[in-house]
Amino acid sequence: MSYKIIGKPTPKLDAGDRVSGKSVYGHDIELPGMLHGAILRAKYPSAIIKSIDVSKAIKLIGVHCIITANDVDTENLSYRKDHPVLKKGEVNCIRDEIAAVAADTKKIAENALNLIEVDYEEKAGIFNPEEALKENAPRINQFSKGDNGNKNISESFHYEHGDLEVEKKKSAVTVTRRYTLPKVTHACMAPSNITADYSPINDVLTLYSSTQVPFLYQREISQVLKIDPSKIRVIQPIIGGGFGSKLDLHPFEPICALLSMKTGKPVQILFSREEEFHHSAIRQSMVIDLTTGADEQGNFTFRKATIIKDNGAYTSWGARTSFVMMQTFSSLYKVPACVYDAHAVYTNNVFAGSFRGFGNPQATFSLERNIDLMADELGMDKGEIRLINSNFPGEITGQGLEYKSCGLKPALEAVIKNSGYEAAKNGHGKSDRFKQGIGFASMLHVGGGAKIYPSDGCGTTLKMDPYGFLTILTGSSEIGQGSETVLAMMASEELGIPLDKIKVINSDTTIKPWDVGVHASRTSFVAGNSLLGALNKLKQKLGKRATQLFNTTEEDLLFQNGEIQSEKSGDSLKIDKVVRALHFKPPHELCEVSYFYEPSSKFQDKEFKGNVSGCYAFAAQAVEVEVDTLTGKVDVLNVHVGQDVGKVLNPMGIEGQIDGGVVMGMGYALSEEMIYEDGYLMNPTFHDYKLPTARDIPEIHFYPIETNEESGPFGAKGMAEAPLVPTPVAIANAVSNILGVEINSLPMTPEKVMRAIHDKKNGGEA
Amino acid sequence: MMDFNTITPLTTDALLKAMKETEGNNVRFGAGYTDLILELEMKKEPDLTVINLSQLVDDDFKSITKRESGITIGSLATMTDVLADTNLQQFPVLIEAVESVASVQIRSVATVGGNICTASPAGDVSCALVALDAACEILDTGGKIRTVPIAEFFTGVKTSVLKKNEILRSVLVPHRKTTDRIVSGFIKIGNRNSMEIALVSFAYYILADSNGDVTSSGAAIGSVAETIKSTESACEFLMGKNIEHLTKTDKGKFADLVLEYACPISDIRASAWYRRQVLWNISRSIF
Amino acid sequence: MLLIDLIRDELKLKGTKPGCLEGECGACTVLIDGTAVNSCLYLAINIHDKSITTVEGLTDGRTSLDEVQESMVNHGAVQCGFCTSGMVMAIKSFKDRCDSVNHVPDRDEIKKNLEGNICRCTGYVKIIDSAEALF
Repeated sequence: MSYKIIGKPTPKLDAGDRVSGKSVYGHDIELPGMLHGAILRAKYPSAIIKSIDVSKAIKLIGVHCIITANDVDTENLSYRKDHPVLKKGEVNCIRDEIAAVAADTKKIAENALNLIEVDYEEKAGIFNPEEALKENAPRINQFSKGDNGNKNISESFHYEHGDLEVEKKKSAVTVTRRYTLPKVTHACMAPSNITADYSPINDVLTLYSSTQVPFLYQREISQVLKIDPSKIRVIQPIIGGGFGSKLDLHPFEPICALLSMKTGKPVQILFSREEEFHHSAIRQSMVIDLTTGADEQGNFTFRKATIIKDNGAYTSWGARTSFVMMQTFSSLYKVPACVYDAHAVYTNNVFAGSFRGFGNPQATFSLERNIDLMADELGMDKGEIRLINSNFPGEITGQGLEYKSCGLKPALEAVIKNSGYEAAKNGHGKSDRFKQGIGFASMLHVGGGAKIYPSDGCGTTLKMDPYGFLTILTGSSEIGQGSETVLAMMASEELGIPLDKIKVINSDTTIKPWDVGVHASRTSFVAGNSLLGALNKLKQKLGKRATQLFNTTEEDLLFQNGEIQSEKSGDSLKIDKVVRALHFKPPHELCEVSYFYEPSSKFQDKEFKGNVSGCYAFAAQAVEVEVDTLTGKVDVLNVHVGQDVGKVLNPMGIEGQIDGGVVMGMGYALSEEMIYEDGYLMNPTFHDYKLPTARDIPEIHFYPIETNEESGPFGAKGMAEAPLVPTPVAIANAVSNILGVEINSLPMTPEKVMRAIHDKKNGGEA
Repeated sequence: MMDFNTITPLTTDALLKAMKETEGNNVRFGAGYTDLILELEMKKEPDLTVINLSQLVDDDFKSITKRESGITIGSLATMTDVLADTNLQQFPVLIEAVESVASVQIRSVATVGGNICTASPAGDVSCALVALDAACEILDTGGKIRTVPIAEFFTGVKTSVLKKNEILRSVLVPHRKTTDRIVSGFIKIGNRNSMEIALVSFAYYILADSNGDVTSSGAAIGSVAETIKSTESACEFLMGKNIEHLTKTDKGKFADLVLEYACPISDIRASAWYRRQVLWNISRSIF
Repeated sequence: MLLIDLIRDELKLKGTKPGCLEGECGACTVLIDGTAVNSCLYLAINIHDKSITTVEGLTDGRTSLDEVQESMVNHGAVQCGFCTSGMVMAIKSFKDRCDSVNHVPDRDEIKKNLEGNICRCTGYVKIIDSAEALF
């Protein structure tokens, strides 16, 4: 099938604005009379608040309002409702919001914070989930309902399929290892921001928020503030990076709204980079104990995973990473039996949120390390063991995931072949000092949304004006991933109109139709299908009118070159003429339609079984790495990415996601780590939190696998999270192979690698 | 804490006058500001005056000049100025050290004097200048110049011999006799390839004659002690030896001698153990 | 006052972005006499007698993008865009410098010039491609 624009590299629609400084981000918003907000955070990670005295602060000139928990009536945040907006009585982590100030300038607001006197009684904190699980540990969060019989568990998940004992007996090799994954942060280039504008006269609250989930956000904030959701309008400015960080509603947002409601003026809160490090959600850190088995031929037999996740002081969406990890353990590669237990444990550490991959990078890390170790024990080729266990089209996994299309095997074949693996199989050192080698990993992720909310759908409204200009009002959000460009491309393809006659509007809850939000790599798939449904309706409307205007039947119509044409007769009319005929003559209808698409995915049952997504994305990576044995430094030379994307819609967009995901994965693998001591972050700056720079990146080679997923728009699947998932473990596998050591925790800093080399040389435990 | 007074002298006389007037007060020099602004944002400095050197016009302070005894680098010369100077290309240790500093944006404004006077044990440019046996030319408010070998300039973490009435005016890198072989470079160890504060650094400048016999040797280590250290006995060890025919034992001995000057700490960036291991490895690897 | 505050708060030019305010990310890069500098680490008073160019300056009074901007758009080098104006100014300064001495840089030199500009979205690849295409 050849398309006019689908599959062709297309620059981002609004790139011109972004590149010339015209785009308005949250930081750039200035409203008349706007005040600046600042938040007083807890001095200790665990304490009792005995008193708060704002009397000195409120007298400071330029201060308009100060609020503490006593001044507001709010419901707790979080789906576990364990997260108070402003803290009263107890302090559970260093993020805790004690008071907030609105003042004429940011400086005055910060000076006011210094004048607020808080009397704390410091308590011993618990910073290790294992400590928190002990019988005699105190309850960490007073709102915790506990789970699985433990007061400090926020949520436990248990899953199983197949017969573990039977499969254990079949296993010729069994590998058990413990894996430790660290805390890392999104480090979006734009720090957190919000502007709240409450209008007292008509009782409407407008929030300029960089949220990824505007409708869920609207609903949750209305519950938290106890106001009618229809009184809330969410407008998204241009968003400077999301990666999942903006899935949760964080206290600073309702706090900003409250300051605006109390002062009757717009209030803006901007995080500094340091605040961003301290106070924005992070990736779940966890300890994974994994046992896996395989038979003599290398067929996987069983997996048993036990995971302790550091939930932190409050529960955010990050606790639900267990759903995604479950899928990896149960359904990545064929595996007859799987038992899985995951516990999100409260501690006095900062809480984790959602971060690209959502637990999958961690799960895949443990799984793919075990696979390499099993291959070692079996004396089996590391590419071969993955190929023989590969998932296949038509497979229904033990968890009930239905792989209508599955490109894992071709993805593996592509990267094994292109990475020069065969040639390098026996390992070669460039020299005694620099050693090179290759590591593999695959991944599975939802590619068509995920039904975790009552609806996983997206609405689209289309309107074409009398000049043939199309406006797409889509519920989906643009967070930099180029979703609006892909939608415009689809409309251009279907209607035969050029891109410059299409506009996408997606940033105002009062205007755009409902969508559950940007997560689970769902936007291309769900918003795309929603758009196609709407385009169908629009074409029908236009087509019907066209048949009245010239010699044609509805089945006969082609939409191309800005015209509606009869295939048989060759007669045609410009599309805008048909629109005008629709509007200004009978039937006097506007050329507007709307359509809501709910993907066919089902809710999982109580045992977590069921086809949770419309389709699934697969990928494999082969990473070529060089280790400097004198310093322990790991350089990633080449990353080969075979990715089942269903269909490449916009190569420019997909490549951008692949590059960004791989480099982000590399950072997680090699250099990024949030270093906490007793609940305090020791490296809250770009100085000491090491993101990859332009001089650290590998050559990235992308081999798109087009499996033409039937249910996807033009055959496409979602893929934005996928590139991040296999990279860290592929690098760990490469380094482990090259040096004959075991890298079972991240990040593998030069020091960690040196220690591994040293321990091996001295005959110690790897 | 960005509330401070500034005095912006345009001439050296005005500078010395400003120094005299503020002597005894809370006063700092600001040149490139890439360290100072970060420092001031972190802590409260009440009644601070910053003598703003950014607009000073004075060749001694700003230019890089070839003289009889060597090349003087004005303390207000930027990193970029150093990279652009043809006379300094003969010192790979210095060029590599300067190139390793942060980013082009920082190198365009950061000054050589700023790097030296911050007196960080991780200072890249300082480390290279110690290996080059440079001399600090210090100007006082009376208009007098005193010279201090740069290896003696640093007295501790972020402290130097500079008195309250003094300012570093320039640095003199001594000429060497023309030579056939130069083994010189700057090795900076970090967790990534750019934007790093060195975990360990090693600067070396070794000259040999046409036979390969070492005629001059300078080396310095950074981030592994309270101050940058010149590894004198290691350099002594090399003198007269043939650089092409050093044995494995020789190289090991050289590294052992270098290591004797290190007493690294463990911090969030790296452990003392790692710093020692890597320093030994990289000092051995230069041959 | 810092130069970035002068630019954003006094002159209301919002294209220059406050990514970190510690000189690490380059999102605040502007040109001072054609040289790329972090405006978050520059005192406003020191612009005395100097010419300052922000990203808006490249399209000021024009109806088309500067070649650096055009190249970034056409190479897909813009995703969220928050790092973009810093990237543009760093590349612009580099291009002008190379042109003035007729130098064609290799990919490593381009990367070296961008080492102080952090991007979290693109993995840098297309940004480097877009700069390479200018020569």
